[in-house]
Amino acid sequence: MDEIDNKIIVELTKDARTSFRKIAKNLERSPDTIINRFQKLINDGYIRGSTVIVDPHQIGYEGMAAFHIDVDAEEVDPSTILVALIKMPSIIVATKTMGDHDLLALSVIHDFNHLMRLGEDIAAIPGVKNIQTSLWTDGKEISHKYFIV
Amino acid sequence: MLLKFDKTDEIIVRRLQKDARTNFASIAEECGVSVDTIIKRFERLKRNGVVIGTTILLDPRHFGYESLASIEIDADPSFVKVIVEQIKKKQGVAFCTPTMGAHNIFMIALLQNVKELNILRESVKSLSHVRDVKTSLWVEDLLLCPENFELSQIMERI
Repeated sequence: MDEIDNKIIVELTKDARTSFRKIAKNLERSPDTIINRFQKLINDGYIRGSTVIVDPHQIGYEGMAAFHIDVDAEEVDPSTILVALIKMPSIIVATKTMGDHDLLALSVIHDFNHLMRLGEDIAAIPGVKNIQTSLWTDGKEISHKYFIV
Repeated sequence: MLLKFDKTDEIIVRRLQKDARTNFASIAEECGVSVDTIIKRFERLKRNGVVIGTTILLDPRHFGYESLASIEIDADPSFVKVIVEQIKKKQGVAFCTPTMGAHNIFMIALLQNVKELNILRESVKSLSHVRDVKTSLWVEDLLLCPENFELSQIMERI
């Protein structure tokens, strides 16, 4: 990674739709250079993709929840549960964890009923032993950060 | 607030969630409308706050950030807000919020290594009115799924 790569990343982090021509002009390079660099950043794994940041509150989500999940590892491989989790609507981040619990799922929440239903759906995944839930309302910030993470 | 949000808007958001650089002509084709309409709709989605912006997804591990962790904190409930503000100022804190449930505060930290993470953990633990700190290190490549946002709900509200 050099200065040009850095600047491409900074520009696209602010606005992923910035045209390569504009970036090229700012950096006094040809658009082809920028396109090639962008492609290389993707191929080398620096950039995993691009997305639109949606305000969860504006589309009907009142909050977010973290589900800390304990797994019966003798019965089921936690990776199987991880894959099941991320397929569930409203779950936007899922990961295995080291520490007090085995898995963590972060979810956007419409309302109390939705939260209850999600908890039940997670509990119904074979091998899930225990779920501990934390709830909060300022989801906007995390969706920002999480997309940038 | 009454939002105007129809099938065209939904397709725009869906396509851009998967790839923010998708060209508008291809979205226009899927919607059966003109490119101008898509441009106007996208501007409207930004204006009414549904869309905050677009960004690229970076892999923190490629930038030297090896340690991603979530931390749950038990604290004196009357000091939670103050503590959250103190934590937000610390380096490596990607997110921090008061929570309801088993613990009072939930935070996500993004740091270069486990040593740094432990320094952060200890500095949080030493804050006054913090009783207990539980750290979970995210070990497997976290799975992100922005397209899991359900959009059908807004359409039902209109």
